[in-house]
Amino acid sequence: MSNTLRPYLAAVRSTLTAALTLEDFASQVVERHNKPEVEVGQSKEVLLNPLTISRNENERVLIEPSINSIRLSIKIKQADEIERVLCHKFTRFMMQRAESFIVLRRKPVKGYDISFLITNNHTDTMLKHKIVDFIIQFMEEVDKEISEMKLSLNARARVVAESYLTTIRTHCLIPRFAVHLMNNELHGETWYGAG
Amino acid sequence: MILLEPHNYIIQTTLAEKAAKPGYVDVQFVDFDGVRFKLSTPDKKSATNILLSMNIRCWSELVKYGVNEVLRREYGGLVLAQPELDYDVSLEINLEQLPPEGEQRDAQIKSIALLKRNALAAPFERAFKEQKQLEASGGSQGELTALHYRDEEVIYVQASPDRVTVIFSTTFREETDRIFGKVFLQEFVDARRLPTIQSAPQVLYTTREPPLEIRHVPGLVDSEDVGYVTFVLFPRHFANADIASATISHIQLFRDYLHYHIKCSKAYMHSRMRYRVSEFQKVLNRAKTEVAVVDRKTASGRSMMR
Amino acid sequence: MDGSFRKIDIDQYDEDVLLESELYEPDSRDPAQVLSDAKQKAATVRQSLARGDTAGALAAVLDGAPYGPNVEEAKNLNLQTVVSILNSTKATEILNIVRVLSPDAQDTLMKYLYKGMALPGWGDVSGSVLLGWHEKLTEAAGTGCIVRAMTDRRLV
Repeated sequence: MSNTLRPYLAAVRSTLTAALTLEDFASQVVERHNKPEVEVGQSKEVLLNPLTISRNENERVLIEPSINSIRLSIKIKQADEIERVLCHKFTRFMMQRAESFIVLRRKPVKGYDISFLITNNHTDTMLKHKIVDFIIQFMEEVDKEISEMKLSLNARARVVAESYLTTIRTHCLIPRFAVHLMNNELHGETWYGAG
Repeated sequence: MILLEPHNYIIQTTLAEKAAKPGYVDVQFVDFDGVRFKLSTPDKKSATNILLSMNIRCWSELVKYGVNEVLRREYGGLVLAQPELDYDVSLEINLEQLPPEGEQRDAQIKSIALLKRNALAAPFERAFKEQKQLEASGGSQGELTALHYRDEEVIYVQASPDRVTVIFSTTFREETDRIFGKVFLQEFVDARRLPTIQSAPQVLYTTREPPLEIRHVPGLVDSEDVGYVTFVLFPRHFANADIASATISHIQLFRDYLHYHIKCSKAYMHSRMRYRVSEFQKVLNRAKTEVAVVDRKTASGRSMMR
Repeated sequence: MDGSFRKIDIDQYDEDVLLESELYEPDSRDPAQVLSDAKQKAATVRQSLARGDTAGALAAVLDGAPYGPNVEEAKNLNLQTVVSILNSTKATEILNIVRVLSPDAQDTLMKYLYKGMALPGWGDVSGSVLLGWHEKLTEAAGTGCIVRAMTDRRLV
């Protein structure tokens, strides 16, 4: 873990812990409504100051607290075109499954890649520190996952190119190491077999 | 399976099966690049007569480049003078005339299964011949032959005195495909640096910008999604008939090979994401508190229901 | 029929409507006065830093920090002063410095840290320095300090 990642995650953890002090709060504007105030945004007095935690311009977290809900948005590091498309695919994949991820928002806040919406109902039914753990673990692993996917894409491309060009040269002789690598990669299950 | 096979598996297995046990057959199927096949017994009374027809998009161009001669050479009398309706070429196969079961029969069936490969080989063979002529006569550039093998994608083949240039234009329909394609093509360019494959053909690729050889061709699509891949084949890549035919088999499958592996990568990414997301799900589930189910009793001792 | 009346925001005519100015006590000082105060403090801080008195410099700049509307210039100047102190402090000294700050100064410092992180690349703001300070300040002042930075409407 690089030396700025740890304080970054520590800052997100402490800020999120501080922000997760939520209580049930019915709308003051519409009778019989009880909605996340941070999303409704109509009563100034129940919205708190949004806080930003940033590692650099391309990696930051926005936490928007309110009396009964907080919204946490993450901007994930994307160094190049490949990481951008992989990040987009991954966040989209998750957001399409927002139903089972309860605290996940279906759309990210503008300027960020993925958003979470945690309401007082969530803190009532789930353990607060475990929700924080989940967010932190997500942040840790999403970077790792994207760079691993990029590496595997490059590895595959190399094997594919080499075995194609090798066959044009010598015809029908595939390097053994290439076959081995491909078999591992084509069957994703074996990749995780050990883990 | 890393490499794609040049022959058609359905033709191979169906023919082998029917040769062993003749019977009525009528199947239609497709191969890469929208090539359609039909395998049928036209006369229901004689099950041993099988008709194999193929429809290929760029047939009129292939005729110009001498596909009829190539097919006649490969299949001799099997080629029908008048192809079946809606198809470009038909082979009539009499199962009784096939060699007896064994290696020889397998070889003949395999050669029939290579019908698409042989048809597409025509422009390449022509270019290889042309290169020899140019080298001998000291001419400058051969004719640029274009093969519109897919709706938006073309193979260009051009002979020069010292080499044959093959250019593929390929379209990436999706942003992801385009970016993945770039990674793959870059590896094709870089792979030649390895000492073991230095004798492989030189590969160049550009996106959007067409290579010099085809820049004058009208109607090139100007878009970020279009990529051009150039293979430079030197005489050593078609020195004798065997090497030449193997080179042709591989080169014509390049586009399918590239796109096949792009799709494979996407499928692999998907399986990874599925796994990772299920892991996240487990972490989040750990946050849920267990709801204790308490059986509440009324004063009279019955369970209280709500 | 004219439908433009439908677009009128009637809530602004409500007697009970909450105004921005009612959320917190405004600064009693005049904007010009605030600016000159900030300039004066920047000068004091430079002197303290030259003497090597980082804790004193920090306490001075955090005291009476400008907040509220109409004092953008003073706010920017003060942020710059804070950032210059933060950047020039050794990582090992941070914990001792934040420990001796008064609770009010700690809260104000927390506000500046978040403000700095919201503007990456502004001036010489550096994410890693701010994150280092944030970690130490949280260690010294606890989560309550973050909560106060979140709830205090007097934005620096």
